This record gives sequence, structure tokens and C-alpha cells, in this order.
Amino acid sequence: MAFYWYQSDPQLYQAEVAAMQRFFPSFQINQLQDGSGRLYWRGKVQPTGAGGLVWDLMLIYKNDHPHASEGEYGGSIQILPISPRLKDVADKMMPLVLETYGTYDNAVKHGFGLGLPHIYRNNFGRNEEYFICTADPRYFKAGQNRSTSAASALSWACKWIMLCEMWLNGEISDDVALEGNY
Amino acid sequence: MQNTMNSDAIAARRRALAEALRTGEPVVVTPTGQVEMKDEAIENGLSGIQVPDGKLAGEA
Repeated sequence: MAFYWYQSDPQLYQAEVAAMQRFFPSFQINQLQDGSGRLYWRGKVQPTGAGGLVWDLMLIYKNDHPHASEGEYGGSIQILPISPRLKDVADKMMPLVLETYGTYDNAVKHGFGLGLPHIYRNNFGRNEEYFICTADPRYFKAGQNRSTSAASALSWACKWIMLCEMWLNGEISDDVALEGNY
Repeated sequence: MQNTMNSDAIAARRRALAEALRTGEPVVVTPTGQVEMKDEAIENGLSGIQVPDGKLAGEA
């Protein structure tokens, strides 16, 4: 019996691979060695171009791909920055966030409870890691005919990285980082 | 002098991109992951995936 989405829906798997090969050919697909059977893509991007950071990313499919529900930040594809490690960046920013908002509760209220905009935390292996929130579940396509692919999730992530770097450099305000039209 | 010009050009490009994102103009992502304004990418003959519409989610 097919247990994983890539076994039960080989056409979707082929479409995922084709989209990544077309749009992000340097990314490689592999399987996590944790017994979960989950597939992931790994590769590097440089969203702000020359002079910007190079980000080493993992795009990890949940086994219920394609799927999105309320409270799932980014649907069934999780984006984990390996380098820079998001938790380290967020921890460095937290004192500044607390200085800006006065209290932790107020920082949470303004969307900066984890130190960076649009991120969420989850367990990964033995550690708690911070992941990039991509699309609000309302925008994640999980229908029978169309689903959000790793390629589109990665494009959202590149946009987030650019916004994050600009926010870290003080080029955009907290409000724009959180509530811009994106 | 050349470096100053390059830095100025990079800064101007970043400001334009920030404004494009703020106003919801379409952007594309090239195979290296670089975010570009769609019109500029077309003009420069760059291929890429258009970032789908929709707000980013967030935990806190």
C-alpha cells in the first residue's frame, strides 16, 4: 500500500520535480534519514543579489502534502534555513525587539514574538528550529487539480528573505515588514 | 569611484524592490533565488518564477 504522497500520487511527484528543475535547477532532492520518509530539497539562494547573503535552505515536504489548514504556516512544505540559522538570527534580534516594544507581550502583539517577522517554530530532529512562514494557509493551493509546489513555496521564501534582510538593515520599517502588500 | 557607483546602484535597486513589494507589484525569482521586478526581468531577458499572490503567514 502506498503510504507517502509521492508513492500514492506519482504524477504530483513528477510535477514537483519538473517545477524545481525548471525554476531552481541547483536544488537537489533527497530523503530525510530520520525514518519519517519525508522528502526534501536542498540548495542555496541569494535573494538580494550581489552583496547579499547566500542562504542554504531545506524545503521539507510533510507527509500529508499537498495540504494546508488553519494554523499551518506555509502549508505542507516547511522551509528551514540551515545557514544562516534562523533561530540564531532571531535570538540576536530579540533584545532590540524588546527594547522597541518594551515587553515580550507587546512584541508578540506586534508580530515580533520570535524576534523576526513571519517565522514560526517547530521541532526538527532533537532541536526546536525556526522556519520561514511562506503563504498564509488561505493562499496555499491544495486542490485536486492545482497544488502549491516546492518551487512556488521557495519563491515566497526568497521574497521573505529579501524583506527580512531589508528589515535587518533598517531599510524597511516593522510595519512594512509585517503588513506590506505581500 | 566605481565601487561607490556600484553601491549606489545596488542601494537604488533595493529601494525600488522594497517599494515594489510594499505596493504589491509583481516580482519574479530567478534560478539563483534573486528577486527581481517582473518588468525589469523581462527587459533584461531573465527567466524566473513569478511569486504567487497572497500574504505571508506568521506565528507571532
